[in-house]
Amino acid sequence: MDSFNEHPRGALHAYLDEELSLEGSLAVEEHLAGCEACRRELETLRALRRLLQSAKAPAPEAEAALTRVTGSVRARRRRVLAVGGIAAMAAAALVTLVVVSGHTGGIVREVAAVHARALDAGSAVEIASDDPAAIERWLSARLPGSVPPAAGGEGFALRGARLDSLDGRPVAAVVYQVRSHLVDVFAWRSTEADSEPRPSVTGRWTVCRWSHRGVAYWMVSDAGQEDLKALAALIKERRT
Amino acid sequence: MDSGVAESLRGVNDDSREFERFARPHAAAALRLARTLVRNEADAQDVLQDSFLRAFRHFRGFSGESPRAWLLSIVRNVSFTLWRKRERDDPGDVEAALDSEPDPLPSPEARLLETCDAAQVHAALDRLPSLHREVLVLREMEDCSYREIASILGVPIGTVMSRLSRARAQLVRELVGDPRSKN
Repeated sequence: MDSFNEHPRGALHAYLDEELSLEGSLAVEEHLAGCEACRRELETLRALRRLLQSAKAPAPEAEAALTRVTGSVRARRRRVLAVGGIAAMAAAALVTLVVVSGHTGGIVREVAAVHARALDAGSAVEIASDDPAAIERWLSARLPGSVPPAAGGEGFALRGARLDSLDGRPVAAVVYQVRSHLVDVFAWRSTEADSEPRPSVTGRWTVCRWSHRGVAYWMVSDAGQEDLKALAALIKERRT
Repeated sequence: MDSGVAESLRGVNDDSREFERFARPHAAAALRLARTLVRNEADAQDVLQDSFLRAFRHFRGFSGESPRAWLLSIVRNVSFTLWRKRERDDPGDVEAALDSEPDPLPSPEARLLETCDAAQVHAALDRLPSLHREVLVLREMEDCSYREIASILGVPIGTVMSRLSRARAQLVRELVGDPRSKN
């Protein structure tokens, strides 16, 4: 095997770091045996390593930061899921969710984020049912004054519902499925004038909002705009 | 509580506990790297928290070989995002200059190095460019392999090797002065 004709330089660092092959290590050792300068250089590198290791500070507060982060994630999810029993919060949901024009962009993003989070968490529905009456009972026990869901049909299957939170308030989300796409429909009582559904696309989500006879709706899905318009029409038509 | 609600609550808990188990062994290293890169304790804590949150959101998709390298690369990205906001100069701009010229190790210095203390080490590290600081901290304090460092920094292993040798030479000079400039 060839020893280094010149000083190994970079290979000396790799030797110290135990990153050389057996063959490479042997070549460096062979060179070191005959080279005082490189032996001293290696000694310097070792001293530097000992020095840096002795200056390594413990960081116990890092684990505390980790538990704070995961703890706050859990607390936030619990708040969302536990809203049903709290009358005061339920009452707040009945107050119209004011959607002033400047605020709409933020809500659109939040609607999409709420939907994405529910899908990510695998918790799209807390009650799985295709029976509007069963879902209505489940919702009104948890969020008094909830809007009764419309039955599925015309390619839209009713899948169930969950409680979520939107704009800082508890809100009922009714879930439909069209082909492979889940659609969240958020609905609450409102004094807004009637308006037509106008779907818009934000990132990978289609979002659509409208008002109909004292109920404000938000809808979000990764289905297309035509699907959302069709579902909005179905919900309007089946409204009793 | 309704069984559906309990079910999804349990899902969320497991999820976040699993992330704790995943991240806990590397939490201290993450904080040390943040401190190395942002230099200010409040910023380092912010970087750490932001990094944990990002990692939590994405850790289900993690499929690499080293959770530590993955977590540290997030810390590094978050740090440099903050850095760009604060300091305006991109560390990437000086990258080429730092990696270009050869930088022989001053020697013999071993005995002189043994007289230094931790405060002097940290002060000397602070005088190095961040790209040199981080490679030293990752290799010498966190004991990362070249492959892990390459993955954290997003550079080839050859770049890790040359940067590390320059960083070591520069730190030795910061600690004990340059023997070539003395008589």
